[in-house]
Amino acid sequence: MAAKNRTVDPDVVQQKLAKLNLQLKELEGQMEKATDPRKRRKLIAKITAVEEKIKQAKTGERMTRQQRRDLIAYSFIAPNFIGFAVFTLGPVIFAFILAFLEWDGNNPIQFVGISNFLDMAGNSRFIASFKNTIVYCIATVPLTLAAAIGLAVILNQKIKGRNFFRTVSFFPYVASLVAVAAVWNMLFSPAKSGPVNMLLYTIFKVPANELPKWAASPDWVMFTIVLFSVWKNMGYYMVIYLAGLQGINAELYEAASLDGAGTLQKFRYITWPQLQPTTFFVTIILTINCFKVYDIVYMLAGGSNGVLSESAIVLVYHIYEEAFRNWNLGYASAVAMVLFLLVLAVTLIQFRGEKKYAN
Amino acid sequence: MKKKFLGLTLAASMAAASLAGCGGSADTAATAADSEETAAVEAGDGAEETAAAEAASSEEVTLKWSVWDISLTTYYEPLIEAFEAAHPGVTVEMIDLGSSDYQTVLATELTGSGSDFDVVCVKDVPGYTTLVNKGVLEPLDDLIAQDGIDLSMYGGITDQVKVDDKLYELPFRSDFWVLFYNKDIFDAAGVEYPTNDMTFEEYDALARSVANTEPGQEVYGAHYHTWRSAVQLFGILDGKNSIVGGNYDFTKPYYEMVLKEQQDGVCQDYATLKTSSLHYSGAFSQGNVAMMNMGSWFIPTLIEKISAGEYTECTNWGIAKYPHAEGVEPGSTLATITSLAIPTSAPNKDLAWEFVKFVTGEEGAEIIASTGSIPATMNDDIAAMVASVEGFPGDEASREALQTANLYLEMPVHAKSSEIETILNEAHDGIMTESITIDEGIAQMNEKVGALLAE
Repeated sequence: MAAKNRTVDPDVVQQKLAKLNLQLKELEGQMEKATDPRKRRKLIAKITAVEEKIKQAKTGERMTRQQRRDLIAYSFIAPNFIGFAVFTLGPVIFAFILAFLEWDGNNPIQFVGISNFLDMAGNSRFIASFKNTIVYCIATVPLTLAAAIGLAVILNQKIKGRNFFRTVSFFPYVASLVAVAAVWNMLFSPAKSGPVNMLLYTIFKVPANELPKWAASPDWVMFTIVLFSVWKNMGYYMVIYLAGLQGINAELYEAASLDGAGTLQKFRYITWPQLQPTTFFVTIILTINCFKVYDIVYMLAGGSNGVLSESAIVLVYHIYEEAFRNWNLGYASAVAMVLFLLVLAVTLIQFRGEKKYAN
Repeated sequence: MKKKFLGLTLAASMAAASLAGCGGSADTAATAADSEETAAVEAGDGAEETAAAEAASSEEVTLKWSVWDISLTTYYEPLIEAFEAAHPGVTVEMIDLGSSDYQTVLATELTGSGSDFDVVCVKDVPGYTTLVNKGVLEPLDDLIAQDGIDLSMYGGITDQVKVDDKLYELPFRSDFWVLFYNKDIFDAAGVEYPTNDMTFEEYDALARSVANTEPGQEVYGAHYHTWRSAVQLFGILDGKNSIVGGNYDFTKPYYEMVLKEQQDGVCQDYATLKTSSLHYSGAFSQGNVAMMNMGSWFIPTLIEKISAGEYTECTNWGIAKYPHAEGVEPGSTLATITSLAIPTSAPNKDLAWEFVKFVTGEEGAEIIASTGSIPATMNDDIAAMVASVEGFPGDEASREALQTANLYLEMPVHAKSSEIETILNEAHDGIMTESITIDEGIAQMNEKVGALLAE
């Protein structure tokens, strides 16, 4: 205990105590008059703080108990927070500032106001990437949701080999993107001899010159990418839905059966409403992930030189190319801000919805 | 209140820190200017400079050199050994930055302060322009003048990479495009080999004469890699057109020729090549490609892979000069230079210059030529050395194909070269996948590059 206590002049302590007691009296006086509950709460907090200080002065401890508690908590947070501050928060704030500057990383920085944002309107690659990102989101989110919920409902039933099929559906998600993208491009080869085109040609009688060129064609590349993305990610969201399905009370189905509800009706009136919080969560996560898409597009449509054309370019790739190919760090940061605003909008919707769906 | 205050202070300190970072780079710029002055002062007194270099060489110094593909490139080691033997106490350390995005990685390394590379390889001209614009390369003119280096040995190519009349790099390799061909295919078809003097019409006819479109036993008369250089740049060989000029009407006849070949199955389909990311070496080594236009950097690869027994279907190969348009001198072709430069942040600049001089000079050229690669200082002796490398085709025509007439850079120095590159790639992709017509593609290039140049 000796380390915690200081030897102090009793006179000083007396003075301090007198002052603190005065403060306490005053606060208590205010407290009696105050009627507004918010104000009262604030006063209570102040009174507690003063009382703590009086206690500290009496015992002669260095820190009040609250201060000590705070310090311990902060010391636990610190390792993570310092890393976050140095590698994430700092760069994020810097990017905000950079959006209004012109800089190539070496030459002196120039302040250019909002001209970086104005430049976007005239940049056809930005417009294309913005459009493609939105199209990709709008197409991918509902398709992935539908595929995931369908798989989950089917694989939640007691069928033979259930675990095997669950694994099969989850497999694309864990397989290496680079490897499966290469296989995918081989299956969807634009040549007539490509496996998928061969099927279209022989079974569906699509004429040879109308066969889609998949990832190599500007008209089909987005479709190919969406298809790949749905196939790759549906397993992951299926698992989330499976967890949701397990949480539904079986009594509900039993009651519905007694009322004579069919399979579709059960889905419509029990499964779907009960899964709503899950669907909400999955939609948000999926949308945010869609805005961040980069790797899938790069692997499927990048070709041998890794340059995406306007038919396939997405926002994250545009940021990369402007920042590290053309060294327009300011402009790239401005585009990053646009992406940030998009994701922020989705997140705000999530915050609102969370209150509604919180169980 | 307290929390808000904490947040604000935090934000403020972050902002301050980031600004401090910027301040740091401004300082570097100042030091760079200083060191330029020092270089100029030293240039005034040549004797003193040499003394300093000698003094430096007697200590233990490590030069850091950025390269790509250490394991695949055969001349790095002999160059370093020879240099270290001539400079006791000096060690040259190679840092491999990878091949596919070498220039991006290098530019990132040299961004800001704190890089300690002494010598850097510069892989291509757009990458060079980027580095020069960023102001991270040391101008070499004073050093060149001081040591009396004769730039004429580079065949005028150094004039094409001057930026504002200053030279920031010296080439050590100068690759040019030739026509690789597989003799076995021509023998089987009973057709004469490609010659060193072919017009594009003759070349097209030759490709068609050896092509076989029968399913299962396809033979492709020609092969064009997915790079736009492989098709678009046929058009600049007459010396009248520029790839950064803003008008691309001259590419039309070549697109027509290649697209027709593609539709007739004379060459492989661009879309398939693109999605399968087939490497040109893979295409040629399958033994069903009769002719392929590619850079001379493919020569040492072919020699090595064949002698290692990896390529068995194309062991009987040869090279011929690029086909040419009517009235253009045979041997006019595209060039790509690989150069050495000294970053402004280099810790050992004097020694770095010694190394640059050595590699880009005559001694370096001989070492590079002895591995089958084409050095930047090309003359008859060096061409003979390349041709005498074990595994190089023995016929006279292939030797002669090493003699070039006019060399045009694949991408000339231009402040907007990387943006232009993106536009040209996009149009090339559209035309070759037949998603837009040739005319639409050319209109697209003219319009977009025109708008970019007008900025």
